[in-house]
Order: sequence, then structure tokens, then C-alpha cells
Amino acid sequence: MTTVQPRALMSGRYQRAFTIAVVFLVAGWHLAGAGGQLLHNRPDYTSFAFQCAMWLVMALAITAGSVLVLRGTPGWLPAWSVAVVALAASTAAAAASPAGQMLAVNWSWGSAGWTGVLVLLRRRFTELAWFLAAEALAVLGVQVWDGLHRTDLAGFLAVLAWSTGAQAAVAAGVRALDVAAGQAAGAARSENAARERAATAEVIRAARHARWLALQESAVPLVAELAAGTADPGDAQVRIRCAVQAARLRRLLAEGDEVPGSLMHELHASADVAERRGVAVEIETAGSLPQVPGPARRVITDAAIAILTAARSQARITMAAVASGIAVSFVADTGAVVPLPAAGEGVAIEQQQDGGILWAEARWNSR
Amino acid sequence: MEQPVTVAIIEDHPVVTEGVASWIRSDPGDRVRLVQTARDLTGLHAGPAPPADVVILDLELSGELVTTQIPDLVAAGYRVVAFSGHSDPAIVMETLDNGAHAYVSKDEGRDHLVEAVLAAAADRPYVTRSQARAILADQRPARPALSEQERQALLLWFQGMSKASVGRRMSISENTVRQYISRARAKYAATGRTAPSKDALLARAIEDGVIKPGEIMPYQSFARTQPIAPAWVPRAGE
Repeated sequence: MTTVQPRALMSGRYQRAFTIAVVFLVAGWHLAGAGGQLLHNRPDYTSFAFQCAMWLVMALAITAGSVLVLRGTPGWLPAWSVAVVALAASTAAAAASPAGQMLAVNWSWGSAGWTGVLVLLRRRFTELAWFLAAEALAVLGVQVWDGLHRTDLAGFLAVLAWSTGAQAAVAAGVRALDVAAGQAAGAARSENAARERAATAEVIRAARHARWLALQESAVPLVAELAAGTADPGDAQVRIRCAVQAARLRRLLAEGDEVPGSLMHELHASADVAERRGVAVEIETAGSLPQVPGPARRVITDAAIAILTAARSQARITMAAVASGIAVSFVADTGAVVPLPAAGEGVAIEQQQDGGILWAEARWNSR
Repeated sequence: MEQPVTVAIIEDHPVVTEGVASWIRSDPGDRVRLVQTARDLTGLHAGPAPPADVVILDLELSGELVTTQIPDLVAAGYRVVAFSGHSDPAIVMETLDNGAHAYVSKDEGRDHLVEAVLAAAADRPYVTRSQARAILADQRPARPALSEQERQALLLWFQGMSKASVGRRMSISENTVRQYISRARAKYAATGRTAPSKDALLARAIEDGVIKPGEIMPYQSFARTQPIAPAWVPRAGE
């Protein structure tokens, strides 16, 4: 039998893989892209030490953000704390760059944008939009503070459009993959469930078929005798045979939707024996029954056999789910008190005699 | 002598109709009079006026379950006793929820059908063993809260004891056993969808002293009986 992968677990695995991919993308960008630009333009900065400090702050923000997203979707406060630190560091680094050369020497905007994507990826899309808008405003603010160099401004607008577009696209792509992973996991789950249902149905079908074949040997000859007139319906023996076959047919029809369970099958087997003796046996269940361990089952079926052997013409067996266990009861026309086997293995047996009718209950407690 | 209760049978197998008719005829007090038989619901509506007091309804007509038609029958003023080969607890529950007075499985017909019809005509509860089974198996969140005594009486009745034996077992009178079982049934009339038949059953139960108005709760309050398991797990960082 296959084990069903819980849907959340399966789609969770895909989501984690996408998250890891984004972590690598952001870390790679900051180390290689931003770090490379920082070292390359080392002589041009007013204070290289300050730029390095901001680069480190950004690296810390990315590390914190990565830890957050690898532990699940971050909450509002931690996600935005990281985003705001990244934005503040990039704005400070840009403001400290020499005016008029920002396009060439600024390393920080890209890293800040990707950090925002990293922590806001699985939060509402509008949050990421707000962050990217705030970053665009910060870029513009620094430009205005620097005195609006026309060439710089044009270049920055182009870079901004490109990078914001790329960041939004990555975020949208991951979301689409999340949805697809969820659907794939859902489909896999329903396929597994269908397969298990089919397997169970096959077991039940086979069991019913076997019983149907058994009926061919017992009910069909009786019907044939009745039709041929060799069996007389006025004869008490024939009437009992008819009652027994009718009970077995009824049970066959009623068993259609039962899940096979060991105790149920063992009680059926005991009932079969009694039926051959001419006792009409009914078996009914109420509620979803717990699995009963082997030793306790033996105590219950021993009681069943004792009672069914003593039954004269009819018996009813019921199995009911009760608080923390199962109550198996027997009502049969035994005529007199039946000595029952000893209780034990967590099974308590009680009985009551009313005239010729015996009631007995074997109650198994899981605790 | 009281007027006999009039009954209509809706059943698509003539042999079953014939069997039910013979149970009605063999009632020693002639308390029930069969006034109409039909093979489907359209046949019933085409029948004579005034309509029968009680309809014995086979739940499967021409291969289709007709439990969803019960509210219409009830709205038309019939009291419905379902008579079916389906003893699946979910179907029994749906039948009662839709406003049927009682449910009798085909195995129980001989012993219980006429009595169930008479009880339905008087708007009194009638609980067969298959109905007790469905109540015991009920796990729906909106099920009514049953007392320990009601549950035990239902269990012993389902197991196959006579009501007198149930009384001996529980050290109470047979009458009290009937009261417990009827009260459990009446609680079900107070839950689920509304139907005039359920109101009538409940009103009669209050009148008969089976249940007090204060004991009728629309549904079980889980907060009172068991703690609610957390349905969500807080996410990291939240």
C-alpha cells in the first residue's frame, strides 16, 4: 500500500526549493555584483570605509532575511525591519557617493531591491510594490539632493525600470510556481486516495464474491428443491433452512459498504458455523470501530462461539464504538444461562438472562 | 372506536407493497387503513383527496434515492415513515433531518412498520434499532448532546434487547426507557433544517412530558464538553 504524501508537506518542499533559489540569487547578486562594483570603483568614493560598512550592513540584512524566509513566511514586523534596514543602508551609501558619478559607482540599489524581494516574496504582492516604490522615491530623493544631474537621472530611470521589472518578475514567477506546486500536490493526493479506495473496493469485492460462491452451494440447491417440489415449505426443517439462507443473503447484501476488519471477519466466521446449524444470525455495527488487538479479539470470539453454540434459532451480534473502545454484544435465544469464558486482555464481559433470551456484552477498552 | 389512521404506500416493487399491505391487514386492532398505493411520487399526487395521514416511503424509487423529496411531502402535510433497504447511518440521518417521522429498515418491517405509522400519525417519536444505530454512529459537529442515560438506553436497544430488558439492565422502568429513547429522538427534531413535521414532533414531546423546553438545545456546544484542539499552528516569526 502506498503512503499518501500530505499535500502541505509536498507543496511545502517545492516552495522551499524556490525560496533557496531566491536566497542564492540575492546572495550572489550582493557578493559578486555589488561587491565587485564596490571594489572596482574603490578610488572614486569619498569614503571607501563608509561604503564598505554599508555593504556589510546590507550583507547582514540579507543573512537575517534568508534565515527568516527559510523558517517560513516571515511576519510583518521582521520582514519590514529587514527591508527598511536594506533601504536605509542603500540610501546612505548612495547619498555618500560623489555627485554626478552615481550611475558608475553606486552598488547599493540593486542589493536593496533584491533584499526586499527576498523577505516580501510570500507576503501580499502590494507590500513588495510599496517597497519598490519607496526605493524609487529614495533614488529620486538622492538625485534631487545631489542637484539633479541630467545624465545621471536618465540613466538611473533606465536602470530602475529594468531592475524593478526584473524583481517584480521573479516575485511573480515564484508565486506562480507555488500555485502550480500546490495543484500538483493536490492532484497527487487525490490520485493516491483514489488508488487506495480502489484497492479497498477490490478486497471487499473479492470477499463478497467468495461468499456469493458459497451461497451458490447452499442457497441454490435449496431453491432448486423448492422449485422441484422435493422440499416441502410446510416442513419446519425446510423453513429453518430457508431462514438461514435468507439471513446469509441479507448479510451478503448488507456487507457492501463495510471496510474489512479482523474482528468483524472472525465474528462472521463464528456466525457461519452457527448458521450451518440452522441459527439465523444478524450482525450489525454502529460507528467507526477501533482496531482490537489479537489477544482481546480471541476473548471476544470465544464468548461469541459459546453463545452462538447455545443459540436455538436466532442470534444478533452488534459491534458499537463506545468511548475509548468497542462494545460487542450478543442477544440470543439460548434458553438458559451460558457459561462464558473468562474475561481478560482488557475485555470485560457482562450478561443478563431474561426468560429464554440471553444478553451478553464484551467491552474492550483501549486504555 | 377511533378512526383508523389512513396510509399511502410509495414503493416501486409490487411484491413489497403487497407485503406491507398484508402487515397492515393483519394488525389485530385494524388501526391502519391503506387508502392508496403508488409506484412513484407523481402517482401519489395524482391520488384521491383528502390525502392519507401517513406516507410509507421507499427511499429508493426506480434506482434513485428520494430523500431530498421528503421536505416537499412534509410541506404538503404528509407524515413520512421511511421504509428502506438502505441502513447506512448517513442516509438514516438525512432522512430524519429532511423531516421524516421515523425510519424502518426492510428487516424491521414486520415488527415495527405498523407501530411506526401509528406513532407518526400521533406525532410521537418512534425509534427503530436502525435509527438507534444511526444516532449512536452520529459524529456530525451539529449533533445534539445526549445524556449518558439516553445513550446507554439507545445502545442496549440497538444491541437487540427488549425495552423491558433494557429497563432491568439499567435498573429503571420500561416506561423510563421509552422516555430516554424518545427524548434522544426529540432532540434530533430540534436540530438541522426546519420542517413542520419536526416542530409537530417536538411540540407533542413537550406536551407528553418527554422533554422540557429547556432541554432543547439547537446543537451541541463543544466548548462546554471538550477543549477545542488548535486548528492552526502559528507560523515562525508571527
